[in-house]
Amino acid sequence: MKTNTMSYKCKQFLMFAGVTTAVFVAVVIVPFIYGIYLTLTSWDGVSKEKPFVGLANYVATFADGAYWQAMGRTFLYSVIAVVLVNVVAFVLAFLVTSGVKGQNFFRAGFFTPNLIGGIVLGYIWKFVFNRAFVALGTSLSIGPLSSSWLATTGGAMLCLIIVSVWQYAGYMMLIYVAGFMSVSEDVLEAARIDGCTNTQSIVYVSVPLMMSSFVQCLFLTVTRCFMVYDVNLSLTNGEPFNSSVMAAMHVYNQAFTYKNFGVGQAEALILFVVCAVVGVLQVYVGKKGEVSA
Amino acid sequence: MKKKLLAATLAAAMTASLTACGGSDSAQEKGDGVSITIFNSKIEVQAQFEEMAKEYSEATGVNVEVYYSNDTVAAHLATRYSSNDPYTLSMVDAKDVYSLAEDHAIDLSGEKWVENTNYALSVGGKVVGFPVCVEARGLIYNGDAIEKITGEAFNPEDYATLDAFQGLLEKLAAGGMETPTGIMKEDWSLAGHFLSEVYEMQDDVDGFITSLHEGTADLANNAKWNGKMDYFDTMMKYNYAASSAIAAEREVSEQKLAEGEIAFMFGGNWDWSMINAYEYSENMGIMPVPENTSDGSNKKLVGGGSKYFFIDSSENTSEEQRQAAKDFLNWLVFDEAGNAFLTEKCALVPAYSNIAAAGLDPLSVSVKSYADAGNLIDNYNYLPDDHFSLCGAAFQKYLAGQTDRAGLAKEVEAYWASTAPVER
Repeated sequence: MKTNTMSYKCKQFLMFAGVTTAVFVAVVIVPFIYGIYLTLTSWDGVSKEKPFVGLANYVATFADGAYWQAMGRTFLYSVIAVVLVNVVAFVLAFLVTSGVKGQNFFRAGFFTPNLIGGIVLGYIWKFVFNRAFVALGTSLSIGPLSSSWLATTGGAMLCLIIVSVWQYAGYMMLIYVAGFMSVSEDVLEAARIDGCTNTQSIVYVSVPLMMSSFVQCLFLTVTRCFMVYDVNLSLTNGEPFNSSVMAAMHVYNQAFTYKNFGVGQAEALILFVVCAVVGVLQVYVGKKGEVSA
Repeated sequence: MKKKLLAATLAAAMTASLTACGGSDSAQEKGDGVSITIFNSKIEVQAQFEEMAKEYSEATGVNVEVYYSNDTVAAHLATRYSSNDPYTLSMVDAKDVYSLAEDHAIDLSGEKWVENTNYALSVGGKVVGFPVCVEARGLIYNGDAIEKITGEAFNPEDYATLDAFQGLLEKLAAGGMETPTGIMKEDWSLAGHFLSEVYEMQDDVDGFITSLHEGTADLANNAKWNGKMDYFDTMMKYNYAASSAIAAEREVSEQKLAEGEIAFMFGGNWDWSMINAYEYSENMGIMPVPENTSDGSNKKLVGGGSKYFFIDSSENTSEEQRQAAKDFLNWLVFDEAGNAFLTEKCALVPAYSNIAAAGLDPLSVSVKSYADAGNLIDNYNYLPDDHFSLCGAAFQKYLAGQTDRAGLAKEVEAYWASTAPVER
C-alpha cells in the first residue's frame, strides 16, 4: 500500500483527527467567524434584524474610554498577579520538593484552592475581607484592617490580586514540581562536586533545565489573568464605583447589560488579539531560552 | 468487506440506541398533548411556580414547564431566541417588553383581563405585556423598633416632611438607637431606584429627560434633586455603616432592619423576600420618601406594574400553545386557584382590580394600600440600559464622600448629555 499519496494522508488524518477537528470547527472556529461578522452589525442580541454598520463598532470601541481604562487596569493586574503567582508557586514547589516532612500533604493542601470554582472562591474571600478581617482589625485595633479593603479603589484591586495568587499558585506549583523532578540527580550531583552552593545549583542548573515549566506557567497565568471574570464578578463586581471592572467584565456589560452587542463583540475581539499576541510572544521568547541537558 | 459491513451495522445500532434515549421524554406528555414553557424571572417564587406547574398540569391536562436562569433576562432570552427555542410565556421587565415585543410578542388586546388592570403594557397601540404584580419603592420602616424607643404609636403619615423625619431620627438617636438608618450601596438601588425618583417626580418627566439629553437641565438648582439629596444626606448622617458606607452588605442591612437594630432603609416590597429570612418584626411597612414640599409627592410611593408576561409570536410556538398560554393568563386572573397562587403562595401584590388579596406580607400591604388609593407615581421605564451602572458608580462616590452634591450633579448631567436618547 502506498503511504505517500494524498488520499492516504487524508484518510489517515480523518481517521485519527477527523472527529475532533469537526467538533473543534463546530464549537470554536464557526462561532469565532460568526462573532467577527457580528462586530460589523448593530445587533442588540434579540431582534430579528442584524443591521450592517461596517466598522462603526470598532470606531465606538476606540472611543470607549471605560474600555481602555479597564484594559489598562487588566494590564496592571496581570503584570503584578503573574509575577506574584509564579514567584510564590516556584518557592512553594522548591519547598515541597526539598524533602520536608509530609510534603505530599503540603502539595495537596496548596493545590486545593484551585479546586474551588472562581465564583465560590470570590464569595468566600468577600466574606473574609468584609467581615473576618474587619472583625479582627476592630477587636485588635489594627488600623489598616479595621475597614474593608473592598471599599477602596486600590484595596479592591489588591484583594483581586491576593485572591488570584492564592487560587493559581497551587496549580502552577504542580507544574514547577514536575520541573524540579525532571532535573536529573546526576547533573545536580555533578554541580555539587564542582563546588556549587545550593542557590547556585538552583539558579545555574535547575532553572535553565526546567525552562519549559516556566514557559507553560507564564502562558497559563498570563492568559488566565487577562481573561479574569469569575473572581472579578463575585469578589468585587466592579465596585467601588466601577473602579475594579476588568476588560472581560466590561465586555460582558457592554454586550449583555448595556445591550450593545456589536460593540461588546468588537471589544472582545480586540481583547482576544491582545491576549493572543502577548501569549504567543511570551511562548516564543521563552522557547528560545530552553536548553536540554 | 464483511468486516466493514459488520462495523457499519454496529455503528448504526449504537447510534440508534443513542437517539432512542434522547427521544423517550416526549412520551411523557399527556392530556390533550399541549405543552407550554414558562420563563420565570423572579427567583424568589421559582419553587412556587414549579409546584403550581404540577398542579396546573394535573387540573387542566396542559403540560407546563417552568424555567429560571441566573443570567440577566435579556441575555438569557437572547440565547433562547438565537437557538430557535423560545419560551411560550416569558416573564420579563418592562424595558425588555419594549425591546422584544415588536419582533416576538403577540397582540393580547382582546383578552378579558385587559379591562381589569391599569398596568398592562402596550407597544405600538397593542397590549402585549401581562402585568404579573405591582411593586413600589419607598422608605421601609420598622415600626416596632421605633415605638420601643419613642413609646408612642408610629404613624408614617406624620413624617412626610424632612423636618419631621429628622426630628424623629434625633429622638431615636437620643433614645439609644444611635444609627437608625441603613443605605443600600448597590448601583441598581442608588441610581436605578433612588436617583430615578428625581426624574419620576418631575412635573413633565419626558420633557425633563429630553432637557437632560440636550444638556439644558440644571440639576443643581432643581427642586426635586435638592429635595431628594437633602433626604439622602440625612440618611447618610445616621447610617449605621457611615464609616464604610460602600462596603455595607445588603444582607447585613436587611437583617438589621428586620430585627430592629435600625429603623429605616430605602427599598421596595421585593425586599421582603430577604427580610423574611430573619426574625422580622410584624409592624413594618413602606412610606414615601420624606421631603419638605407641598406638591404632594411626599405622600406617594413610586411604582406600578412589575414583571410582564408576553406570549411568543414565532413559528416555534403553535396556535394551540398560544391558546394554552392565554388560558393560563386568564386562570391567573379569573380562577380562584390562580388568584391564590399569585397572592398567597407568591405573596405578590395583584395588578388586577378583581383580585382581593388577603394575607400579604407587611410591605406589600403598604404598597397595596397606596396603589388602591391611587397614590403611586409611575415608574419611568425608558431609562438607558447603562444608566444604573454609570450613574450608580457616580452615586457610590458620593456615598463614599469622594465627591459633593455639585460634583454628583455634574456627573449625572454629563452622563445624560453623552447618551443617545432611547428609541420609543
